[in-house]
Amino acid sequence: MRVLIIEDELPLLEQLRTRLKQEGYAVDSACDGEEGRYLATELPCDAAIIDLGLPKLSGIEVIRKARAAGKTFPILILTARSRWQEKVEGLEAGADDYLVKPFQMEELLARLRALVRRAAGWAQSHITCGPVTLDTATQAVTVNGQAVELTAYEYKVLEYLMLHAGRVVSKSDLTEHLYEQDYDRDSNVIEVFVGRLRRKLDPDNRYNPIETLRGRGYRLTLERTSP
Amino acid sequence: MKLSLTARLLLAGSVVLAAFLGVTGLTLDRAFSDYAEQSLQERLQAQNVGLIAAAELDDNGTLHMPATLPAARYNSGSSGLYAQITSNNGRQRWQSPSMAELHITLPKDIAPGVRHFERLSFAGGELYCFSLGITFDLSEATHEGFTFTVADNMAGFNEQLAAFRRSLWGWLGGVALVLLTVQGLVLRWSLAPMREVAEDLGNIEMGRHQQLEGHYPREMRGLTDNLNALLASQREHLDRHRHTLGDLAHSLKTPLAVIRGELEKSTPAEELPAAIGEQVRRMGEIMDYQLQRAATSGRLPLSAPLSVTAAAHKIVNSLNKVYADKQVECRIEVDEDANFHGEEGDLLEVLGNLLDNAYKWCERRVMVHAALDKQRGLQLSVEDDGPGITPQKAEAVLQRGVRDDSSNPGHGIGLAIVQDIARVYGGKLHIEKGPALGGTRITLLLPHP
Repeated sequence: MRVLIIEDELPLLEQLRTRLKQEGYAVDSACDGEEGRYLATELPCDAAIIDLGLPKLSGIEVIRKARAAGKTFPILILTARSRWQEKVEGLEAGADDYLVKPFQMEELLARLRALVRRAAGWAQSHITCGPVTLDTATQAVTVNGQAVELTAYEYKVLEYLMLHAGRVVSKSDLTEHLYEQDYDRDSNVIEVFVGRLRRKLDPDNRYNPIETLRGRGYRLTLERTSP
Repeated sequence: MKLSLTARLLLAGSVVLAAFLGVTGLTLDRAFSDYAEQSLQERLQAQNVGLIAAAELDDNGTLHMPATLPAARYNSGSSGLYAQITSNNGRQRWQSPSMAELHITLPKDIAPGVRHFERLSFAGGELYCFSLGITFDLSEATHEGFTFTVADNMAGFNEQLAAFRRSLWGWLGGVALVLLTVQGLVLRWSLAPMREVAEDLGNIEMGRHQQLEGHYPREMRGLTDNLNALLASQREHLDRHRHTLGDLAHSLKTPLAVIRGELEKSTPAEELPAAIGEQVRRMGEIMDYQLQRAATSGRLPLSAPLSVTAAAHKIVNSLNKVYADKQVECRIEVDEDANFHGEEGDLLEVLGNLLDNAYKWCERRVMVHAALDKQRGLQLSVEDDGPGITPQKAEAVLQRGVRDDSSNPGHGIGLAIVQDIARVYGGKLHIEKGPALGGTRITLLLPHP
């Protein structure tokens, strides 16, 4: 998942970047409103975390401009002011959730996971496709009730495919959403991860959970079974 | 610099007064001089008639004047009354004795039947002449035309006119002066309340008074009453800020003391983060609460009533986004005339906190209700279908406020903030079991402003 953080307080920005990377997110960041607006309208983000009090262009304006440019990714706002007037203003501008500073990092991660999942059309934190269940809160994966151990990158690929179950996901979609801007797009690392995932999810070659559509990408073939 | 009100009114008054008195004076002056001239003409005509009656023409055409002339003034040169009779062929036939020293040519050759008036200036002054042309019949066939001229010195006339003018303009000037003085006094009296307000404000500035003390006329009461309301609300604000600041400082001391205690009693290093983290969380909540209190505006004078419907929709739309996973059904039953008299931020704060709690605790359904009660004021309630609250616990939540909400993070600070806003607006908060949905119902009663 690719997340954009727009925050002008550098220590907080650094904390957020470090933590989100640990959680397996690809992170882009900006520390003023202008740069943030540019990235928000240009990058293929899956979510954005935007501070409301930004230099150059206010967070509210960044949100309005991104929405006006047709961007639909979920936005979580951070605000130092806890008055409802400000929260309402941010949500009316197009944000989807808010957090008042100071917040706990766990709370932020939970909200972010929920926003990304909801934006992909899943109502609950456990998402199930056929025998595979993914708990977005704990990042645990089970197949037919049996826990499966995945590496952080394998999990990222599976989560992305499951959130978009049934749809074709191109290789460039995967690289764009799972890696940061300067990633080498020509490498075949995605193919390697998909191959490993197939073996781990379906060691006996029974379901063919991920099909390869030549020249177009991958598709999770398992049917969505949870809301 | 702008002209003062007094100067404006006096200036405008003076211009109007001057115009009015000027026109009046000119009209009177004109009427009087016309009248005086007319009476002079009448007098001269009478003299002329007397002269004609006295003149006799014998058969030879010789003009005879009696020894005793119709007016004695014809005899003396200094009398200023002159007469002259000429034939229309230019020959002078008779002159009054007074003409002897007068070196001036009086009008002659006036056609018969014509009346001629003329002013003549000469070294010794001004003459007003009246000449009349007449025809004497010498026989059946011969007629002779004469011009009878009477002239009077205008010194008297001019003097009379000057005297009239002096007294006319004297009086008018006097009247103008009196009127202006009266106007000035009236202005001073009428504008006195303005000066009083300024003086009162000065007293407030000096800290001698808290509000405008004087009794003001009806026209100014709107201004002064609103000014007083504004002053009172400012004072209230200041007091609240001062108290909040004090409360903030005091309530932060407790967690600080706990942290210091933990540090001093050499708690094992692995337990420190938990102990300090708890106090940091508490400090955060205290700051949130106290900042909210400071931000509460309270009832402001001169504020327009706000629609509760609009605010409720704003909050519900926001919460529907935030609690999207829960799929809450929220019913908004707000009367059209349910208005809130105060600051929008306070209304959003009340609705936001009450509804946020309801969304948090509900199963599926939430209801907002607001109505205006003629006697009791605005009644605003939020109800959910959650687990509900026991009366004891409700009482405890309201009593406790933010002091000790660690056991119940849900109904803590939000409710304390609403309660605080209710207090600022002179309202009340009730917590009870909801009659419609079965969960908690929290009602805020705000009296009329």
